[in-house]
Amino acid sequence: MATTARARPGLGITGSSGRAPAPLVRASTTPGKLRFLLAGLVVLCLLWGAVAALAAGQHASGAGAVVSTSEPLSLDGQRIYRSLSDADATAASAFLAGGLEPQAVRRRYLADIAQAATSLEAATTTAGHAAAQPDLATLSASLPVYTGEIETARADNRLGLPLGAAYLREASGLMRGTLLPAARGLYQQANVELAAQSSQATGLPFALVALLVAIAVGLVLFRAQRWLARRTHRVANAGLLLASVAGVVSVLWLVVALTVARVELGSARGHGSAPVEALAQADIAALQAHADESLTLIDNSGDDSFQADFAAVTKRLGPGPGTLLAAAASAASGSAGSAAATAAQSGAPAWYAAHRRLRALDDGGAHSQAVASATGSGPQDSGTRFRQLDSSLDRSIAADQAVFQSHAVSGRDATAGLEAGMIALALIMAAGCALGLRQRLAEYQ
Amino acid sequence: MRTRGWLIGALAAGTIAAAVLAAGPARSAPAGSAAPAGSAGLAGSRSAAGPRGARVKLPLPFDNSCHPEASLRPPAGAPRVTAGSDMARIRARGYLIAGVSESEYHQGFLNPLTGQIEGFDIDAVHQVAQAIFGDPGKVRFVSLTDAGRIPALRSGAVDIVAQSMTINCARLRQIDFSAVYFNDGQRVLVLKNSAVKGIADLSRQRVCATAGSTSVVDIKAANPAAIPVAVPYFTDCLVLLQQNQVAAVSTDGSILAGLAAQDPETQVVGPLFTIEPHGIGISQQNPDLVRFVNAVLARWIAGGGWAVSYDRWISAPAPAPPVAQYKD
Repeated sequence: MATTARARPGLGITGSSGRAPAPLVRASTTPGKLRFLLAGLVVLCLLWGAVAALAAGQHASGAGAVVSTSEPLSLDGQRIYRSLSDADATAASAFLAGGLEPQAVRRRYLADIAQAATSLEAATTTAGHAAAQPDLATLSASLPVYTGEIETARADNRLGLPLGAAYLREASGLMRGTLLPAARGLYQQANVELAAQSSQATGLPFALVALLVAIAVGLVLFRAQRWLARRTHRVANAGLLLASVAGVVSVLWLVVALTVARVELGSARGHGSAPVEALAQADIAALQAHADESLTLIDNSGDDSFQADFAAVTKRLGPGPGTLLAAAASAASGSAGSAAATAAQSGAPAWYAAHRRLRALDDGGAHSQAVASATGSGPQDSGTRFRQLDSSLDRSIAADQAVFQSHAVSGRDATAGLEAGMIALALIMAAGCALGLRQRLAEYQ
Repeated sequence: MRTRGWLIGALAAGTIAAAVLAAGPARSAPAGSAAPAGSAGLAGSRSAAGPRGARVKLPLPFDNSCHPEASLRPPAGAPRVTAGSDMARIRARGYLIAGVSESEYHQGFLNPLTGQIEGFDIDAVHQVAQAIFGDPGKVRFVSLTDAGRIPALRSGAVDIVAQSMTINCARLRQIDFSAVYFNDGQRVLVLKNSAVKGIADLSRQRVCATAGSTSVVDIKAANPAAIPVAVPYFTDCLVLLQQNQVAAVSTDGSILAGLAAQDPETQVVGPLFTIEPHGIGISQQNPDLVRFVNAVLARWIAGGGWAVSYDRWISAPAPAPPVAQYKD
């Protein structure tokens, strides 16, 4: 074996030095090339492991956050809005009835408040991030004020005092001016998070980088083995073969897991959260119009602002091209909630017809009959028709919510263990490369 | 949207009020010259010692430059619906449309137990319906805010307004009035634990009245240092008073008595500092309706029905009824 010292006579070193220190940079010799290859392959394997683990981690945390944070938060925000808006309309109609409120109306109000409080509690537990905190704080602070004012109104009503109506107006103003906007804000915030986390879970940048690195590693491994086979006249190197197998396994696992997650989360969005969002928009509009109907009957002032709001909101609600119900039905088309969404499209005109009869009664001076239609449960009553529309929308939301949940969970589970698996396989690859090349290197020493 | 708007405004105002109240303790030394709480009639002096000795000018109580209390003379005899008159038009419609309050306890209020609108003003409306239809029940009540009364009359949305409405020269330029059917004057309602004894003690404090009422103007006229807070209904003022967002409510004594009846922890204090003759508001387009309503009121007062209603809703025994004055 050639020694470096002898090549440098000027240094005056005698030949007794024998074995030279290991050449570090002489890449032109075979051992030099081997050492260079060893270092390069180990670095590339570890780089692949890092990039693959990063990609897996990004996708898994996005999918996990969708399932455990933003989706429940969106659902809770929607439930809070629904129950508060219904409480507002129910409290108004309890007052409309005059005298002691009907028991069913009182129970409905109490159930709404209990649902709002439960969902608020759940949302507060779920929302770890700061963005939803101001809305949650507003809801938590104002809900007891609202219920206090409603109970004051109820107590004054029982004493026959007109002061009760003032407390009811104050409570309704708090609901419409503070509580409902906060609930809407919470819901919208959760949907923004949901979209961001979905795209993090299904986005391509990290996966593409990982694949580029995988191709580079594969090329180098392949050429290294071919070069080694020619140079050493041996067909296979066990270490490099192991590294190649581990590499192929890790690439296949990553590609399959991310593809499955992407498809599942795409379905969760397309057949789940997108229709739910469109249906929830329609439901919110329907609830607002319903509250307008009750408040028009209470506000006997000849001022038609609530009725004007009813007209504007129901125009947005539809059905008809470009309306919320049309958007909801088309988003829900082919999904589990499709049938109920279609029923809602025909339920809305039925309610509007009952509402027109109610308005005709009220405008014709038959106020108590109009009130009976608003609060009644007969098949022609406006109250019944609204509840049919509301329950159609509610059922389609629940059905699509379930679809979302199952797809999103499958998507999250597809990436389970992926990050750890990528790290482990990359370490195996690096170890295989190191073992295989050290074996060859030893033959030169 | 109006209701929502003011409620949001009231909440915001309440927050500001709380901040203002927190910033500095309310100064409310009792005013030396304030008349005792029960005294009727105008305070003798035109000024009173305000907080920290400031002189607070009491306003001229009543602008009578145009003889506002004089209305159109009714035809002799019982009220009659003549052909082609406003009354004939209303009779053809089938019901009278009356703008009233749903929130002025004992004047005009929606009784939550019965769902009916009741009160002294409402009795007057039933008298008019009785005279047109022979049936006191043929009325459609439209609940108005105080600010909504004149627009409702001018647009023709209502035939008459019976809602504690003060007759004055400014309003007579826009609408017409019946003869006086109730005499009132402005006072102050406070919590029983308040040191305020009258309008003079309310400098730099928030005092509530309804938007579009004479009361909200007269607060500033009686005590320029007071801070008027305008809301749609007087019951809203009581809500604000109960929540400590205002220091007092100031309006006609009869309305304040109605508020005090709803909360035993409040009381009416101080002298009357304005004169407020109430009339039934009618559009200037309908002079024959003005004469007709005056005939109805004259019959109601002369027949003793007025006193019965006064005893029932306001206080018993009823005082001597107002003497109708006519300008023609």
